[in-house]
Amino acid sequence: MKLPPVLRLVARNFAANLDPITLLVMFGQPAFLIVILGTMFNQLIPSVGSSGSYIAFLVPGMIASQMITGAVLAGRVFWLDRRWAMVEQIFSGPFIRAEYLAALLVTALLFSLVGVGIMVLVALPLIGVPGLSAVELAVILGTIALGSLFFGGLLISIGSRIRSANLYFTIQSLLQYFLIFISTVYYPVSAKTPLALRAIVYANPLTYAADTVRDAFTHTFGSGDLLAGGILAGLAAAAFFLAVLGFRSLELGPVQ
Amino acid sequence: MSDDEQVLRVDKLGFAYTPERFAVRDLEFELKRGEVFGLLGRNGAGKTTTVRLLTTLLPPTEGTAYLFGKDLRKCGRAERARMGVVLQAESLDFVSVERNLTLYAFLWGVPREVAKSRAEEMLALFELDPMRKRKPWSLSGGERRRFQVARELMHPMELLFLDEPTVGLDALTRKRILEYLSKRAKDGLSIVFTTHILQEADQLCDRIGVMQNGRLRAHGPPAEIKRRYRGARTVEAGFERSLTPAEQADLVAILAREGEGFELIGFDRGELSFRARNAEDLVAEISRWAHPRDIDVERISVREATLEEAFVTLVSEDSAPPTGPGEALL
Repeated sequence: MKLPPVLRLVARNFAANLDPITLLVMFGQPAFLIVILGTMFNQLIPSVGSSGSYIAFLVPGMIASQMITGAVLAGRVFWLDRRWAMVEQIFSGPFIRAEYLAALLVTALLFSLVGVGIMVLVALPLIGVPGLSAVELAVILGTIALGSLFFGGLLISIGSRIRSANLYFTIQSLLQYFLIFISTVYYPVSAKTPLALRAIVYANPLTYAADTVRDAFTHTFGSGDLLAGGILAGLAAAAFFLAVLGFRSLELGPVQ
Repeated sequence: MSDDEQVLRVDKLGFAYTPERFAVRDLEFELKRGEVFGLLGRNGAGKTTTVRLLTTLLPPTEGTAYLFGKDLRKCGRAERARMGVVLQAESLDFVSVERNLTLYAFLWGVPREVAKSRAEEMLALFELDPMRKRKPWSLSGGERRRFQVARELMHPMELLFLDEPTVGLDALTRKRILEYLSKRAKDGLSIVFTTHILQEADQLCDRIGVMQNGRLRAHGPPAEIKRRYRGARTVEAGFERSLTPAEQADLVAILAREGEGFELIGFDRGELSFRARNAEDLVAEISRWAHPRDIDVERISVREATLEEAFVTLVSEDSAPPTGPGEALL
């Protein structure tokens, strides 16, 4: 039986382009951080808000950050396809641009979910089984989906407008570190945080995602999280729109 | 689809970067089922842009074409599903040669078992079997080109575009590929083919089009192109006896006067060789000259022009772009 075009493209994205070493680094690094950073800082920080231990604070943040990992991997597939002329080859076949874009976004989401699974498995021995309700689990997965759509759309939109691999990967690395470090993934924001830094942190969509996932873990999910979800959904829609625009005007042909 | 069904009709197709700067203009030709059409031209003549236009990768800015009877501007997945495209740019996935073939077949929805047997067939045909486990980027230039063509032939198609498929291939491999493509064309596959190797265009193509400065200068069967644009050809004549210096001078003077592009190569008493555009006329002129003088012409031969000679004549004749859609020779 012939699979629908989007699923064929998604399967191909997973089968091609990504080597095991890349995957090991991309998923191994946050897992390593949970174990090492979590354990080390756990000794220094006795308690962080409603999360309790620092490691219990860190794990939801690292789970939320997997939406960036997924987006980065999908952006990498897209850029390698451009660099090695597979975008043109695919567009000259039985596919339309919308399907290729959809396949990249699904790839970003699936990679994010793989990352979430790995983070949960690594965290289980450290924080135990989180007693999540069905609603809390749905909130986490929904947040990851919206975040993947936002970051995936953003990176694909950037990748569609750039014709240099060096420039793309530089921008991607900068964004990745900027977004993760200036967010609430590793540390909480409180009244003591300088106002300017607090403003930047709260301008970062990853903050909303990390806070929402964290609230689901600590069973403190509330109206603020609904608002955060709404903001994330709006940003995801905007990023998707930008990616669609980028694809409509995507110039095929040689890239550096 | 019947044999005389039109697969492709190009109707004043063009692409311009700006209103003043065009890459392709006024292209007109057609392709029937099982036909092979070769696009020839110097670097930058517009061959690759033409392929990109006809494969829907580039939207035309003027004119159109009809793929399987449908306006190119409205063509989509359904038409592309009936085509194969080997682009000039090398494309690959980061898996082994063998996996690239089966993965590409999977993308096209070819059933797994069919893909496996087709991959074996292609690996053998394109002599890629020893490197089936290697990554394509580790192959030599010629091997990578073979891989590109092999991969495209993994799925069924009715029309195949090949943009310089034999670049970097050795003569033997080129021959095998051309023979295979010729066989597929006999089975009904229509092929549009660009190349710089005129000998292979002559061998494979039913019709060729010569592009210059984005326009089709001429198109028709290779024999007709050669006949029409063959330029000067070499004539060798042998007489039954040595000619006297006076006779030699007389004959050369007549030939030089009558011969378009006449160039004397050698005249050694009984042996005459020269080049001229109107070689047949001069052969008749030699007979007319010899007959009243009771000199028998023992042998006379005109070497046929190659496509390469015709091509050089054609693209050298006028470097300025022609104004019309190109001259159709048949």
